Amino acid sequence: MCKIQKDKFLSEEQVVNKMNEELKKLYKTVILKNNNEPFAFEKREEAEVVLEAYNQICGDRFRLFFEIENDKIVNLSFHGFGCAISKASTSILVKHLEGKSLIETKDILKSFLNVINPEGIKEENIEEDFQAFEAAKDFPGRSKCATLSWDALKEYLEEK
Amino acid sequence: MIDPVNIRGEFPIFINNPDLIYFDNAATTQKPAMVIDGIKDYYENHNSNIHRGIYDLAASTTKKYEVVRQKVADFIGAPNEQSIVYTTGTTAGINLVASSFLSHQLQAGDEILISAMEHHANLIPWQMLCEAKGAILKVIPINQDGTIEKPLYKALLSPKTKMVALVHVSNSLGTINPIAEMIEIAHDHGIPVLIDGAQSVAHYEIDVKALDVDFFVFSGHKIFGPTGVGILYGKEEHLKKMHPINFGGDMIKNVTFKKTSFLDGPQKFEAGTTNIAGIIGLGYAIDYLNQFDKKEIQKYLKHLRTYAVNKMLEINGLRIIGSINNGNNSTDQAGSIISFVMDGIHPHDIATILGVEKIAVRAGNHCTQPLMDFLELPGTTRASFTIYNTPFEIDKMIDALKGIQQFFN
Ligand SMILES: Cc1ncc(COP(=O)(O)O)c(C=O)c1O
Repeated sequence: MCKIQKDKFLSEEQVVNKMNEELKKLYKTVILKNNNEPFAFEKREEAEVVLEAYNQICGDRFRLFFEIENDKIVNLSFHGFGCAISKASTSILVKHLEGKSLIETKDILKSFLNVINPEGIKEENIEEDFQAFEAAKDFPGRSKCATLSWDALKEYLEEK
Repeated sequence: MIDPVNIRGEFPIFINNPDLIYFDNAATTQKPAMVIDGIKDYYENHNSNIHRGIYDLAASTTKKYEVVRQKVADFIGAPNEQSIVYTTGTTAGINLVASSFLSHQLQAGDEILISAMEHHANLIPWQMLCEAKGAILKVIPINQDGTIEKPLYKALLSPKTKMVALVHVSNSLGTINPIAEMIEIAHDHGIPVLIDGAQSVAHYEIDVKALDVDFFVFSGHKIFGPTGVGILYGKEEHLKKMHPINFGGDMIKNVTFKKTSFLDGPQKFEAGTTNIAGIIGLGYAIDYLNQFDKKEIQKYLKHLRTYAVNKMLEINGLRIIGSINNGNNSTDQAGSIISFVMDGIHPHDIATILGVEKIAVRAGNHCTQPLMDFLELPGTTRASFTIYNTPFEIDKMIDALKGIQQFFN
């Protein structure tokens, strides 16, 4: 006999409160804000580069739109659908890479991906926007959400 | 009567994780001690290869292994054990039928008919075969409530249709398809039918003989058995005509360097050393399930579903996909699977948050990407119940869903 140990569970109110605490670890204000009010969230089919970031496991799909002018990423925007974490991380990408040179971009990509990499060595002076995604590595299967668009851009730049 | 609390006690995983709420039974069920101990006993006391040794141990293992074939036959109402092929799962069974039964008959321009709610396992094998043969894969659309469009099913059958392949219970929507009727309609046109029973065998009485179905496939791991084993039931007349697609030991009558002749029975499809422990474990899983009356199981699961649906629909912005599920107590067209979405909250976020509460649900396209495209959804969150789940656990999920809503709004 294995009684469900009801006393091991919390009441509705306790659940809601506890969840709030736990979830704030993963869903930092930065993430919720960028999920609800994403940066440069617009389709631009005519862009010189249209880059797709797709996660076949969960169906998240974002497209990045931009031009490369004088070795700089410009007119960067994004559109698509995904979870709060992938959407916010794409929004942060757009916010931080607009107008950056390709060399700077590589450094920024590295710095962001390092935050989510479980083996990454903690760097100093990390952007607060980036740090917000650190907890993703502690949630099963969620680090890919944080890196989805970043990985796609990295791959594009490496192949270029 | 189903006593979920007692049943829970028969599953070591719940003893070891007393606060685990497991609502991902459509992906795989947990295993009762009876199955785990049975497999352990096999390895500790009986391990040997089958059909090969003449010493006692090998002979008794062969017997233990072959007894399961009869057990499976009885479990699904097959006329005899010769119609039961051991496979590695539902996927393998469908692929075997596609490659070994249909491949030789299919001509360019022929058609295979499936439904819009098929699992990838009952879609891609047919699609590949169609590509190879220049045949056409046709799809029966579904209604917004998640049921098959029956008039279109009839309209899509033609003299060119060479196979109908249908899921019994949809793993994404929980819809129970009227397979008896659909098989009969196909047979009126002389078309063979394969039924994907992956989601139905655990909870519904299956009688392949009464259904007159040509092929029926399922997996052991979704009926409280181990992973890596499954069953293909085929009418003997079909199995006799089918050629093996794997070749090796344990399947032959006679081998010379010039020519090989194969065994007649299902063993001809089981080349090489199979998952003996898994098959034996499947036997125990069937013994386990046989303790319960399927009607009682259905009654209990219907109770759970209704209980959950009614509470879920009270949550603002929550929508159940395939409205066949919506609250109607009398519906017999919905199983124990509930797929839902919440306004503005991604399924993946819901599943992560429920995970924090130790509630295991699935999020995503559930291996039915074309169905999600059809419903214009990126995915859903899915809760799937079985006999060890309780209304109390559902309450906990509802609390958590309310918490999620508060958090995101
Ligand atoms: C309806 C349906 N068909 C087929 C499968 C595939 O089963 P398996 O992965 O055990 O071969 C599943 C399970 O995921 C399923 O739910």
